[in-house]
Amino acid sequence: MAEPWWKAGPQDLHRIEDRISSLYVERCHIDRDDNAVVLVNKYETVHVPAAYLAVLLIGPGTRITHAAVALLGDSGTALCWVGERGVRMYAAGLGSSRGSKLITRQAWLVTRPKERVEVARQMYGMRFPDEDPSGLTTKQMFGREGTRVRRLYTWHAERTGVPWTSRQYVKGDAFAAGDDINRLLSAANSALYGICHAVITGIGASPALGFIHTGSAVSFVLDIADLYKADISIPIAFDLAARGLCSERDARVAVRDAVVEEQLLSKIVSNVKSLLLQDSEAENEDRNEIWGDGDQTVDGGRNWGDWDVFDEFHLDILGQTGHAAEVGES
Amino acid sequence: MTVIVLIAAPRGLRGHVTRWLLEVAAGIFVGTVSKRVRDYIWEITRARIGDGQAVMIEPAATEQDCAFRTAGRERWKPTDFDGLTLLARPRDPHEP
Repeated sequence: MAEPWWKAGPQDLHRIEDRISSLYVERCHIDRDDNAVVLVNKYETVHVPAAYLAVLLIGPGTRITHAAVALLGDSGTALCWVGERGVRMYAAGLGSSRGSKLITRQAWLVTRPKERVEVARQMYGMRFPDEDPSGLTTKQMFGREGTRVRRLYTWHAERTGVPWTSRQYVKGDAFAAGDDINRLLSAANSALYGICHAVITGIGASPALGFIHTGSAVSFVLDIADLYKADISIPIAFDLAARGLCSERDARVAVRDAVVEEQLLSKIVSNVKSLLLQDSEAENEDRNEIWGDGDQTVDGGRNWGDWDVFDEFHLDILGQTGHAAEVGES
Repeated sequence: MTVIVLIAAPRGLRGHVTRWLLEVAAGIFVGTVSKRVRDYIWEITRARIGDGQAVMIEPAATEQDCAFRTAGRERWKPTDFDGLTLLARPRDPHEP
């Protein structure tokens, strides 16, 4: 058992696809009380099932203690500091990943033009299974994608009777522009981004290294979320608008229900893995290795050098005075 | 699977619930019952719990896989966080 006793090892935690997708909190104090993560306000205390959560979305008006963050980190829960209504993502903390295989492979794929386009093609194939993108240039692919998505909006508008002109939004301010349906689309999409972001960081891929989107710290999140908009956020937004439910909370709740119904968390996990890894590599072992010569790796966690070199180095480490004295004696 | 917990319940109520569920420890009842029976048991429990406390945990088609009902005095309040139910405990007003 790990020491101290309340620490959880990687095997003791839920896999990301088995967790509850997200918990959004605002205007409270997040603390640690008797080894539990608690939300505290003036009147009430709420205990958070931290190890059962994929991501804690921390909204405005919150403060969090170091002890709570340590406990959330130990639970493998990703933390996202988000704006009001969860529409902006400011910063993220550690996810549940303990391995680096996915991110290494992702970096390899994204920096090679041929491989990068091949992954983009795979994504296109996942969205539109009836079409064969293999012969298409990037430009042709994006052209067709635009047409199909526009047709999708029109189809849902006709289905639900919600008036539709065009997709409008202001970058970075989801609620600043557009009519009810556009605002609902923005709200549903941002909930979807939050979930995708949590999964991507949670399984140890990079949210920044996108295959279609680029230049943003969440490019890969936008790539992955696009896979599900046709099934999740677009129909949800039109259905809600048709029923006159136009608050962003309505969108968040509806997206959560759809996440359950479609088993989206496990779908995202398997889709990200199948895009980045070859089948044989799909296992998710926790490795602790260091690079050896060429493409080889060797075991980490042991010293491959000469201890004498490190002893002097240790003497300079802040707060290690006890250790330094020991080394001095030996 | 349905779980009912009764604290300081009238003896007649405790006995009544054991007709449907197995009492595995004092006041803790477990079993598999239909929605109709759950609603019936809960209605009786809510009406007869008096100054005691009652909690029912029942299966539900949510991300959490379960839902809660509470009745009686000074109970923790199930609170909705955008579709996720957590329990809010009242704070001691003398606490800092």
